[in-house]
Amino acid sequence: MTKKYIGKRIKRSEDPRLLTGEALFVDDVEIPGMLHAAFLRSDYAHAYLKSIDVSAAQAREGVVAVFTAETMGDDWQPGPPLVSPPPTVEDVIFHSRTQVPLVKDKVRHVGEPIAIVIAESRYIAEDAVDDIVVDLEPLDVVVDIEKAMQPDAPLVHDDLDSNLAAHIEQEKGDYAAIREEADLIIKRRIVIDRGAAVAMENRGIVAQWDAKSQRLTVWDTTQAPIAIRNGLAARLDLSEHQVRVIAPFIGGAFGPKMMMFYPEEMLIPWVSIKLDRPIKWIEDRYENFYATTQERGQVHEAEMALTLDGRILGVSDVFLHDSGAYDPYGLTLPLNTQCHMMGPYDIANYYSESKVVFTNKTIVTPVRGAGRPQGIFIVERLLDLAAKELGIDPVEIRKRNLIPPDAFPYEHKIIDQAFAPLIFDSGNYKPVLEKAADMIGYDRFVKDEQPRLRAEGRHVGIGIVPFIETTGVGPYEGARVTVEASGKINVATGVGTQGQGHFTSFAQIVADQLGVDVRDVHLVTGDTAEFHWGTGTFASRGSVVAANAINASAKLVREKILALASKVLEAPEDELELADGVIRVADVPRISISLGELAMLANPLRGAVEPGTEPGLEATAYFGPQYGAIAFGTHAMIVEVDPQTMMIEIKRYVAVEDCGTVINPLIVDGQIHGGVSLGIGNSYYEKLVFDENGQLLNASLMDYLIPTAAEVPRIEIGHEETRSPLNPLGSKGVGEAGAIPVPALFAQAMENALPEYDLEILEAPLSPNRLFELLREKEREL
Amino acid sequence: MKLEGEYIFDGPQEDVWELVRDPDVLATALPGTQSLDQVGENEYEGVMNVRIGPVAGVFSGRIVVSDEVPPETCTLTVEGKGKPGFINGTGYVNLIDQGDSTTLMKYDGEIQIGGRLASVGQRLFDTTSKSMIRQGLETLNKALQARIAVKTGGGEVEYKPPSESEFAVAVAKDMAGEALSSSRTTWIAVAVVIVIVIVALILINLGGG
Repeated sequence: MTKKYIGKRIKRSEDPRLLTGEALFVDDVEIPGMLHAAFLRSDYAHAYLKSIDVSAAQAREGVVAVFTAETMGDDWQPGPPLVSPPPTVEDVIFHSRTQVPLVKDKVRHVGEPIAIVIAESRYIAEDAVDDIVVDLEPLDVVVDIEKAMQPDAPLVHDDLDSNLAAHIEQEKGDYAAIREEADLIIKRRIVIDRGAAVAMENRGIVAQWDAKSQRLTVWDTTQAPIAIRNGLAARLDLSEHQVRVIAPFIGGAFGPKMMMFYPEEMLIPWVSIKLDRPIKWIEDRYENFYATTQERGQVHEAEMALTLDGRILGVSDVFLHDSGAYDPYGLTLPLNTQCHMMGPYDIANYYSESKVVFTNKTIVTPVRGAGRPQGIFIVERLLDLAAKELGIDPVEIRKRNLIPPDAFPYEHKIIDQAFAPLIFDSGNYKPVLEKAADMIGYDRFVKDEQPRLRAEGRHVGIGIVPFIETTGVGPYEGARVTVEASGKINVATGVGTQGQGHFTSFAQIVADQLGVDVRDVHLVTGDTAEFHWGTGTFASRGSVVAANAINASAKLVREKILALASKVLEAPEDELELADGVIRVADVPRISISLGELAMLANPLRGAVEPGTEPGLEATAYFGPQYGAIAFGTHAMIVEVDPQTMMIEIKRYVAVEDCGTVINPLIVDGQIHGGVSLGIGNSYYEKLVFDENGQLLNASLMDYLIPTAAEVPRIEIGHEETRSPLNPLGSKGVGEAGAIPVPALFAQAMENALPEYDLEILEAPLSPNRLFELLREKEREL
Repeated sequence: MKLEGEYIFDGPQEDVWELVRDPDVLATALPGTQSLDQVGENEYEGVMNVRIGPVAGVFSGRIVVSDEVPPETCTLTVEGKGKPGFINGTGYVNLIDQGDSTTLMKYDGEIQIGGRLASVGQRLFDTTSKSMIRQGLETLNKALQARIAVKTGGGEVEYKPPSESEFAVAVAKDMAGEALSSSRTTWIAVAVVIVIVIVALILINLGGG
């Protein structure tokens, strides 16, 4: 394979369509006779459903049907769990309680759907929702995760003894023993709060049942079209081949669109079959704040044991994890947190205990970062406090603890989110840390610039945080690569695409394998009619698992091309080369055949072929890694804080990433920009505020602040490449990396900017208001 | 959420008590009220049409009056719900004879709000509710003047209840004068809706006394 395209900054081929409004999104789907759905959702966080009267809604002109849990009959079933509890860990407790299509007996969070109205238009449907008379008997509400675990707390699920959803302990070495030998113990309570993903496009579903062909087609803003197809077929008692799920262009997903099944995702196709009509439902922004999953709420009691020279002897952490009203996503998030709490450091002793807690809030599933930012926040905060206590420079204390390059593969002896042993496949952490320090001018800033600025009365601080990211987990993805008679290449894969640039980066791999122009490689993603094996786009795995499956199938096609061309051109395979869309004898370039002509020869219309011959230049292949690849990086920033207004200005932001082989640096840069933006929101702006009754107090983009172009600085990016030995391309994921270190980085830099306050930031996110409170508290102490 | 305040009526305690226990007066003082009916000895139900700005819907409230000591105090338990969300609350109202033919009303309550009221409106809830209540009480005070005038034979004092829009304008002005520097008129509209609901419930409560 020649590397003409891999590693090149190629502009995204999908962008012209996206930028000119020509790309298909779910809401663009219009079908004659289509009806529209609206949901009656609970205003209460916790209540018994006593009765519903839908007669006035049904009587409204233009309303076609109204369904409740009761009228769904036997078709009402709780959703299937998405991720099973780990079978390999002893003594794990896991109570599976999954979301329901419509509330039957008890409401468990605000926004839970109680009834669905189908009408000629969305306007009529929404008006009819108001006609429904529902009698809810309010119950005491469980909001705070610590209060939820108290013995007298109200129960989210009445059949359980407590609000404990799951309990998992993990241990490496012997923390209790090493603690006795430590020179310094840093112990703190650290709280991380909830945020939303806020994708630009909300969720949406269009379902069309065709009674004549007995086929169901569903357009869905999902990250996992194949899993949705298989689940729908099972639920609706159809063959998998009767169901086609299309995830067209999607305006961002960030994890919550991986949730399967949302109530709406099950209901809209069910109603379409029931009424034999196409149905559309598009989530509005207000619904999105309640009905789309969220993440991050955890309370940690964390401690770190160190020697006087700053060597980490061990980490111990006990934490509560907010699961919301149900726990369909199993233990993925607390496991990710546990796996990142040692960061990139060589830590021999580790104890972690996690309790997952049910609350009367929106369901929690991964949001870009997915448990990882919490783990990094804990270890980095403890290390910063230790550095201060020991009088060691923050960069120096980190260098002393990084896993050395000769220690890989580095086994952590705990399990990861895939229930496999956590092994760091490869890494070289120090050069990345040094590069970031160098790019931001760490030494110069600390020695010269900061003292000068402080003398001027300015509050400018620096932060530097290394991190790791578990990426590219299994089980597998697949792809089919076909050379068409035109000489163009068609590639089909099962993963959906939500803005990652798959159409370009995947095409680069195929173009290099087959020696064609990258613009001649056409990609189809997220359509189960095109490819129906795979799991989905999540866990920073597209460029690892799907990309290697595509690479493997392109390689098989390359072998077929060479075998056939060798016969046709009467030359040995090893003397042939693939370039510019033709196969030619390397030394005698005039002896050649175009790919298109060869494809036609591979698919003869008449005559005999040798027994065992497969038609066409096409191959399907799969890739499943042995275990996940560990990407890493270091972010650094310089921030100025105005202690009068609490407004901040990020003066410099440096991100150095090592995600193994970079397929397209432009796309990797874009992923980092997006991730850092989300991280900035998680650090200083975005927080979902619930009152004691489980009411979300900032359910609009007026009150829920997301960073805008004014808050996101120019990001300077550096790349290092440590290839993963676990896959042929040597790639690692980078989708979530940008978001992971940012809250820890903010905390460090803010403390550094305000030395006279001697701040200890033990929470994320901060906000201007919260910083104001913290500074006032400190002023009272001083 | 706590809601408390006081207001001085220009009339004797007995007259104020009589006024606020008359559902018809309250209904006219509160634009958009469709009905306010006594459904039990100490139980009232009111329906109110809220239709201002982008939020519209029918809001229904139910009040139970307890611990009544005429013409001084009562406790009210409120449940209200409608498209903009719901309100549950307990309120305590106290009328104090000032000895100079004026009456001091003190009220305080604990209110829980939910739905759009909470999630979209909470930011301005506090400031706007104060303005709304003040406007509502001003209207009631005018009604009181009209009643007293008739009673004392001192001629007619015209009492014309404000329309929904007049009421909203008065509240917006009050807020602008008090605290709000923002020009986000949509917020005012939303806030006005919310506080009309609050006022409705408080006034309905008083009527129940």
